[in-house]
Amino acid sequence: MRSKPETQSLTAATEPPSSTSMDPIFHLLRILPFGFLRPPKLRLKLPTLTLPSPMTVYALVLLTYFMVVSGIVYDVIVEPPGIGSTQDRATGSVRPVVFLPGRVNGQYIVEGLSSGFMFVLGGVGVVLMDLALDRNRTKSVKVSYATAGIASVVIAYMMSMLFIRIKIPAYLR
Amino acid sequence: MVGKAEPVNGSVKSGSNQSIPATMQSPLKKSDLIPNLSLKTLKLKTKQQELLIRVSILCLVYVLAFITRLFSVLRYESMIHEFDPYFNYRTTLFLTEKGFYEFWNWFDSESWYPLGRIIGGTLYPGLMVTAAIIYWLLRFLRFAIHIREVCVLTAPFFASNTTLVAYFFGKEVWDSGAGLVAAALIAICPGYISRSVAGSYDNEGVAIFALLLTFYLFVKAVNTGSLAWALASAFAYFYMVSAWGGYVFIINLIPLYVLVLLITGRYSMRLYVAYNSMYVLGMLLAMQIRFVGFQHVQSGEHMAAMGVFFLLQVFFFLDWVKHLLSDTKLFQAFLRITVTTAIGVGAIALGVGMASGYISPWTGRFYSLLDPTYAKDHIPIIASVSEHQPTAWSSFMFDFHILLFLFPAGLYFCFKRLSDATIFIVMYGLTSMYFAGVMVRLILVATPAVCLISAIAVSATIKNLTLVARAKSKVTQTGSVRGSSSSKGSSKPFQRNGAIALLLGAFYLLSKYATHCTWVTSEAYSSPSIVLAARGAHGNRVIFDDYREAYFWLRKNTPPDAKVMSWWDYGYQITAMGNRTVIVDNNTWNNTHIATVGRAMSSYEDEAYEIMRSLDVDYVLVVFGGVTGYSSDDINKFLWMVRIGGGVFPVIKEPDYLVNGEYRVDKGAAPKMLNCLMYKLSYYRFGELTTEYGKPPGYDRARGVEIGNKDIKLEYLEEAFTTSNWIVRIYKVKPPNNRW
Repeated sequence: MRSKPETQSLTAATEPPSSTSMDPIFHLLRILPFGFLRPPKLRLKLPTLTLPSPMTVYALVLLTYFMVVSGIVYDVIVEPPGIGSTQDRATGSVRPVVFLPGRVNGQYIVEGLSSGFMFVLGGVGVVLMDLALDRNRTKSVKVSYATAGIASVVIAYMMSMLFIRIKIPAYLR
Repeated sequence: MVGKAEPVNGSVKSGSNQSIPATMQSPLKKSDLIPNLSLKTLKLKTKQQELLIRVSILCLVYVLAFITRLFSVLRYESMIHEFDPYFNYRTTLFLTEKGFYEFWNWFDSESWYPLGRIIGGTLYPGLMVTAAIIYWLLRFLRFAIHIREVCVLTAPFFASNTTLVAYFFGKEVWDSGAGLVAAALIAICPGYISRSVAGSYDNEGVAIFALLLTFYLFVKAVNTGSLAWALASAFAYFYMVSAWGGYVFIINLIPLYVLVLLITGRYSMRLYVAYNSMYVLGMLLAMQIRFVGFQHVQSGEHMAAMGVFFLLQVFFFLDWVKHLLSDTKLFQAFLRITVTTAIGVGAIALGVGMASGYISPWTGRFYSLLDPTYAKDHIPIIASVSEHQPTAWSSFMFDFHILLFLFPAGLYFCFKRLSDATIFIVMYGLTSMYFAGVMVRLILVATPAVCLISAIAVSATIKNLTLVARAKSKVTQTGSVRGSSSSKGSSKPFQRNGAIALLLGAFYLLSKYATHCTWVTSEAYSSPSIVLAARGAHGNRVIFDDYREAYFWLRKNTPPDAKVMSWWDYGYQITAMGNRTVIVDNNTWNNTHIATVGRAMSSYEDEAYEIMRSLDVDYVLVVFGGVTGYSSDDINKFLWMVRIGGGVFPVIKEPDYLVNGEYRVDKGAAPKMLNCLMYKLSYYRFGELTTEYGKPPGYDRARGVEIGNKDIKLEYLEEAFTTSNWIVRIYKVKPPNNRW
């Protein structure tokens, strides 16, 4: 345990009057600059730091999860194009290619973001389904939550399967 | 029945009837016995039924985790895969043959010639010691198994144990249902399987078990405040430190967790006991590993743990003073002074430590996790490893499948019911997912967290659904104020049917997960890498066993003290299977030595000969995929040799080998490329070979072009051996000419 200036100041100031403070830095500042400087009278309040509510933190976490799962680190380091392009052999026109073919660990930026969105949509769907079972809401709200939740999960799952099948043609075969 | 009782009692018939107690009726005729047993004794109480279900599920999951990793053993044979496991196998062999004392003090002169390597002090011994203990235990029980079989099957065995730990962890964080789901999910999750198949005898196979065990025991210690659990977690941490360099994750996550608990106002005596015991004992135990040494007090990566340790003491001290003082104003002033002083002293100590050099800064490997762009610009060796690339979405999808949906849902449930344990699992999940996004290899570390959190989501959702599905219609008229919101009565069957449909949907999703996992394991993660397979022209499977052919040739046809120069990828395999000394191997601890080899490979033949003579090289080994279309050969890795060599020796300049920024090997290639040693050794006599029908001779199937320089003459080397599919080529370095 610390046997340091705090204990000395503790024993030294056992009956302090309520107007003076024990803080040595406060006393130093009172003498040195503010002995001749006069601070103006401001009506400032120190902002009180409160911890955010769990659901606020959860929203931020969901946003971070979306960014990580979309492969944002890959985008920053490898710097792939936003969307790929091939040249059509017959006509010579340039066609866009959304999914980077051939490798599992490679992506274009847009495909990463859309897949990340699908994953988050699926997660939010499950959350909505749980909210629908909460007792304190009206029936219509519960029904709409449940429908939205189920629809989100189904759409997210089907789209993710579609994406992975486009990207890796040999998937599940 | 009555007839038998008579002679026992020895009394009158009428009397004996009443005096027969009920117990006399049971040990009687056998035909009456069996129906009694089957009806009464097998009818278990609900608690026993639940226990039976849980135990049987865990047993099935245990067996499942083991057998799903056996694909490559069944398809090929029981052999060690990849590159790193061969080093681990060689050291385990040494340990079982020579004993622990020799192993701990081993100086190996067969690698990194002429420097040698202090193996005893530069490896993590946990894996080897574990395999050796299992081997000695089996030998003691008179099972005469070769050590290779034990090494091959260590990883699946520990994967099964991980599922058990995941069950207990899930039970600790949420409830036993979540634990069962977590065990089932982690048994087949491809993110974990990729590094723990049978044959992948690598540190991670054991380390993930140790990681999860440490975390479980620590959370248990925080939940119960018991000293025994905290010390157990310290021993589990020691096992983790002995097993893998990733222990740095634990020693940073746990202090971060403690900090978050302090910030959210969850300081308690339990946390104090748990963290202090675990930190002090864990740190002392970790220093027993020579490779780690004093890093826990000297390295910048471990300073967070020490800082939080002192911060906890300050918290405890303040709590004690608050308990003593009755004046809150006094205490507030005291609090301000103490916190300022503590932070000031801590900052000064850290500053002095770092400035004087006692506390070393973060090493490149771990710093590149915080700043991913660092490795690309400064350390080409780290950037060149394919496992260190950042992760794309498809890798996540491949390794996690529907767990990617369930992870945010599980986080929601954890945030809804915050406790010490759920805060830990949330932090573990978030930090590990971030690191998994930075480096593909670290998806492995994120897998247990993702499985646990997804298990919470699955368990909570299914519980809700089954509650709705099993809800009995109660009487709602009696004094129910919120009758309108409970919506019972007419819509009851609809709700029940909806819940049952959703349950079926959930089971469908989980079954698709199982299908996906098995497919991925079978197709993507069960390849031994040392044996290549391809589909022949008629759909039959063709096996290329060239690597082992070449190493066996080396073992049998070269003098025992021959030195082999190759790129560092193959070093471990050459030493383990070829039993010859190598110049550089996968340990990559000496960048200059690797750069020397890279420079030799990228120079003209005469300059390379000088370098090879200075290193006493007798044989050179290159890997060439032009005949088979194998794309991980040395010509494809060549630019990394140039970069690493050029990083140390500025005579090697990368633009010399490129044409307009493009890397080519055909006629339009750069002249330096067409005449460097690597090119000559790969394509020697290749110009005469026709590889594909309808293409000219010298057509490189891996690059898809016809090579530029077909007429290659070697002056200082001669060809010693080329394997049957031209994958591995070995050349002998000729001694210098006799002087006149």
